[in-house]
Amino acid sequence: MKKIIYLFLLGLLTACSNEPQPIDYGNDNCDFCEMTIVSKAYAAQAVSEKGKQYKYDAIECMVNDQLQHNYDMPINLVANFEQPGTMINVKNAGFVINDSIKSPMGGNLAAFKKESDVVNKESEDIFNWQELKTIFLENDSLTTSY
Amino acid sequence: MLRSFFLFLFLAFASVTSRAQEIEVCKTCEVKTIQAAVDMAEDGDILRIKSGTYKEHDISIIDKSLTIIGEDFPVIDAEMKGTALSIRAENFSIEGLKIINVGRSHTNDFAGILVSNSKNFEVKNNRLDQVFFGILLERASEGIVSGNIITSDAKSQSTSGNGVHIWKSEKITVKNNEVIGLRDGIYLEFVNNSEIIDNLCKDNLRYGLHFMFSDHDLYKGNIFENNGAGVAVMYSKFIDMQDNQFRKNWGSASYGLLLKEINDSELKNNIFEDNTIAISADNTNRINYIENDFRNNGYAIRIRGAVYDNNFKRNNFLYNSFDVAYTGRLNNNKFSNNYWSGYSGYDLDKDGVGDVPFRPVTLFSYLVNKTPEAIVLLRSTFIDLLDFSEKVSPIFTPADLMDDQPQMKRISW
Repeated sequence: MKKIIYLFLLGLLTACSNEPQPIDYGNDNCDFCEMTIVSKAYAAQAVSEKGKQYKYDAIECMVNDQLQHNYDMPINLVANFEQPGTMINVKNAGFVINDSIKSPMGGNLAAFKKESDVVNKESEDIFNWQELKTIFLENDSLTTSY
Repeated sequence: MLRSFFLFLFLAFASVTSRAQEIEVCKTCEVKTIQAAVDMAEDGDILRIKSGTYKEHDISIIDKSLTIIGEDFPVIDAEMKGTALSIRAENFSIEGLKIINVGRSHTNDFAGILVSNSKNFEVKNNRLDQVFFGILLERASEGIVSGNIITSDAKSQSTSGNGVHIWKSEKITVKNNEVIGLRDGIYLEFVNNSEIIDNLCKDNLRYGLHFMFSDHDLYKGNIFENNGAGVAVMYSKFIDMQDNQFRKNWGSASYGLLLKEINDSELKNNIFEDNTIAISADNTNRINYIENDFRNNGYAIRIRGAVYDNNFKRNNFLYNSFDVAYTGRLNNNKFSNNYWSGYSGYDLDKDGVGDVPFRPVTLFSYLVNKTPEAIVLLRSTFIDLLDFSEKVSPIFTPADLMDDQPQMKRISW
């Protein structure tokens, strides 16, 4: 009997896990701009301490949402531009802002793995997560180019 | 003297013929591929492409003013490899082609027809099927995209593109096109002074028409049906919206029209029919809603935060589950002279205007806004009772949100 209770408790605990849920492309809406999430190369998602899921169609939406509402999420994931559909933690990501990147909300922003060649190229347009937030904070607008 | 005159005639004739040279392309002609014809063509030439299938991709036209005419819709089959036709030129036209099987990619925007850094052009009466992006314009101006039929199957694909996608362009006219089954039917980003007229956008995955950061544009006479959402106008200003039909945009988060951060615009003579939410407005300022019909929608208008100076005048609200849902305070928005099918007041002085004001926001819509699950109580007696008591003494809904002059008869416009 005790075992069953333990199992039940275990089930409860796993049910409340803070694991990020995969984005349902074409059906999920962005929590910031309300657009339907369709681009696997630019999506982003976050999970709060209590396990609430936040999904975004673009990295710029996630940054803006968190800055405007002063959220600090324990889990932040962004789409890997080189392998669309896979997500990487922002801690392991390098962010590139370049006119040739047409992200959904006009931020010209995409994320790459830190080990990627793109990130290791010498360039001024590559930032880490903290630097990226600072840039958005300084610009204080939706996009960098608007 | 006479000789030089003849010489002049000859030269004049030669220059005329060379200017209007026509190149025919077909399987049995001298020129067998479109790229070969493009390469040998000079400014001003006409390329006449006979019917047949041309397995070509990345055909590129650079700095040549050509007229390309397809006869009986010759098929350009890009065989899922990249863009079919790309052009960077001035004064050109492309007409009567059928383009199929454009390549798909997560990171490259392959298109049926890609027009970049171009001016003064026409893309008309083409048919595009199984495309990723249909017609893609980048840094273009003074162009016309008309009479094209673009179809694809975005819903069953892992990646999808837009039917007519316009980026950083101005003075573009998009007219009489049909866009069915893409991601966004027509997408505009940083596009100014352009017109979107008489198009049909149907069964698209996301939006029928989508504005981002685009100002001073007009869209008129379009039909948006059964898209993820009809039209989204975001981060734009001075948008004129007239005579459009927004129909059958059903789904838990589906809109006829989604307005987000848009200023100084006008909606006139539009019809919203059978949408889950006809209009959702968020951060919209100085918008006039004049003479629109809202029929059989879940919500006719859902107002979210930071909406100021919006005027709703002479609209017909017909048989919607909720006429207006509202969060926050009235914020200078006005409802006047509308017809509300739910109005149960009277008109004793027979001037056509109801003698008691109409309150379009019900307590129940307020409740549903807070707790969406409460929707199961819709049309229950209990809710009717709640709504009635709120109508008598408004506590939760903004007390001054009312139509002082509700019309007794449906407004004809």
